[in-house]
Amino acid sequence: MLKDTMTPKERAAAIAQGKPVDRMPCNPNIANGVARVYGCKISEFNTNAKTIADAQIACYRRFGADSARIFTDLFTFAEAQGAKVKFPDDDTADLEAPAISPDVPDSELMKEIDKIKPADPYHDARLPLHLEAMKYLLDGVGDEMGCSAGVIGPFTNSFFLLGVERTLRAIHKNPEAVHKLTKVSLETAKAFADAAIKIGLTPTISEPMSSCTVVSPKVFREFSLPYLRELVDFIKSKGKGVVIHICGQTNKIWRDLADMGIAGMSIDNVASIKECKETIGMDTKIMGNVDPGGVMYSGTPDEVRLKTLECIRDGYDSPKGYMIMSGCSLPVDSPFENIDSMMNTVRELGYPVNINKLDDMLADVRKRLGVEA
Amino acid sequence: MAASKEDLLQKLSDCVFEMEDEEVVNVAKEYAEAGYDPLEGILKGLVNGINRASDMYEREEYFIPELLICSSAMYNALDVLRPLIPKEKSGGKCKVVIGVARGDTHDIGKNLVKIMLESANYEVIDLGRDVPVEDFVNTAKREGAKVIGLSTLMSTSMNNMAKVVDMLKQEGIKDQIKVIVGGGPISQSFADKIGADGYSVNAAEAVKLVDRLVGEPIPAA
Repeated sequence: MLKDTMTPKERAAAIAQGKPVDRMPCNPNIANGVARVYGCKISEFNTNAKTIADAQIACYRRFGADSARIFTDLFTFAEAQGAKVKFPDDDTADLEAPAISPDVPDSELMKEIDKIKPADPYHDARLPLHLEAMKYLLDGVGDEMGCSAGVIGPFTNSFFLLGVERTLRAIHKNPEAVHKLTKVSLETAKAFADAAIKIGLTPTISEPMSSCTVVSPKVFREFSLPYLRELVDFIKSKGKGVVIHICGQTNKIWRDLADMGIAGMSIDNVASIKECKETIGMDTKIMGNVDPGGVMYSGTPDEVRLKTLECIRDGYDSPKGYMIMSGCSLPVDSPFENIDSMMNTVRELGYPVNINKLDDMLADVRKRLGVEA
Repeated sequence: MAASKEDLLQKLSDCVFEMEDEEVVNVAKEYAEAGYDPLEGILKGLVNGINRASDMYEREEYFIPELLICSSAMYNALDVLRPLIPKEKSGGKCKVVIGVARGDTHDIGKNLVKIMLESANYEVIDLGRDVPVEDFVNTAKREGAKVIGLSTLMSTSMNNMAKVVDMLKQEGIKDQIKVIVGGGPISQSFADKIGADGYSVNAAEAVKLVDRLVGEPIPAA
């Protein structure tokens, strides 16, 4: 197996200075699958800060990915604002009940929304645990790599405060309610991002409900963008760049996102790296987008190799940089050999990318798999 | 002067299409009180409206919130019209077990297929979302269903679609229970690969597919 000769931090610094490095930065986005590497149950992440950090560190030592992030699920903010979350023994947490009970009639809704307070990251639900985990992570690998903190986008968090279906309806039937919820979600996001930055981590925003797979660009611009921009501006004002990940199709809102001055845009596998590069590659780094389910979870190592090379082929010359990544968080039981295949493909290729070598590697793996270009 | 049947059918369709989930109830009542055929109201009014909404979704002019309210409008009016369908017409067709395969919690597509099948008089047993493989098979056996419909929006649950087919084969009942698949990442070639009996690209096609598989055409409205 090939070995890295630089730490992620050394690699990133050298690339920023235009110097050659051992390989392109790569993030398989292993998420709660780190529990499988470390050998703990996913539910331990709900009670033990050290375990959250140690599992991330164990995963980094095993695979050598360029990113480590403190993030367990999308519901930590909503939980801290009154939503109920269920914690399966060995799977990712899920929303059990929104902060506002489904029994609250529409006529009482605004009154109930007014009762929801922004979360206090130092006191509420699992947020202090996550802040503590950030400190452990930084102590463990902070000198080797940049560590990031998962921040849930304000619009997405609103869905967990009011309930997903009810929020989808309210977009048309009670727009004011959605604005109010997103505003109070923004306050939580800012407070949490601030706390993470103070510890020394860099926030990354997950905003899946803003996806064009869920809402129209028009709805995104009215209900999500103003709050997302305020969050991005806040993080930038603290001297940090911010990467945004949105699942599903996002091509119609890339321009809006890039115009906020983000450090990177992470896209899902249904979006096109090539199209993204052509649309906003001159403004921000592009990240993505090997299919997490169809390839990383259920494919073979050679299929992972093929898709990894195809993504790099599409993205490597993006003006503001490119990072090979999975399209979204990997399913927890993604095979280790597939993650190794992604990392080793990138190691073998080296950096800067030699396009002839890349094409030779592509031709080889296509031949082995019997697929056409 | 009472509105003509054609006018009211158009209004039903428009209410569904234009997300008028409250007004549609009044129109359905007016249609029913005028004594017009309820099944025709469903098929040529409501289903027509949801088809137009689905087209807008395909063209990326409608998204999930719009589709959700359109389907609410459809359900609200169905509550008015369905009880008026004579017994021999409703429940005349076979049972279909439907659900989102384990690994996915998106269910809008499945819900649309359910509406369409119910409108076409199939008895639909809805297992909801993130449904374990064995629940599909066991429910179909217990209920004597002839069709299992599997839906997903995410590639993470595609494996489990294949497992449903495998389990039916293992139990030697694959011939008696047809499996149909659909959803974002699914294609005809995927359906062929896992040995499913059919694939449909959208909810309206799903009804025709089930009709074809179990050999019971839609009764004339």
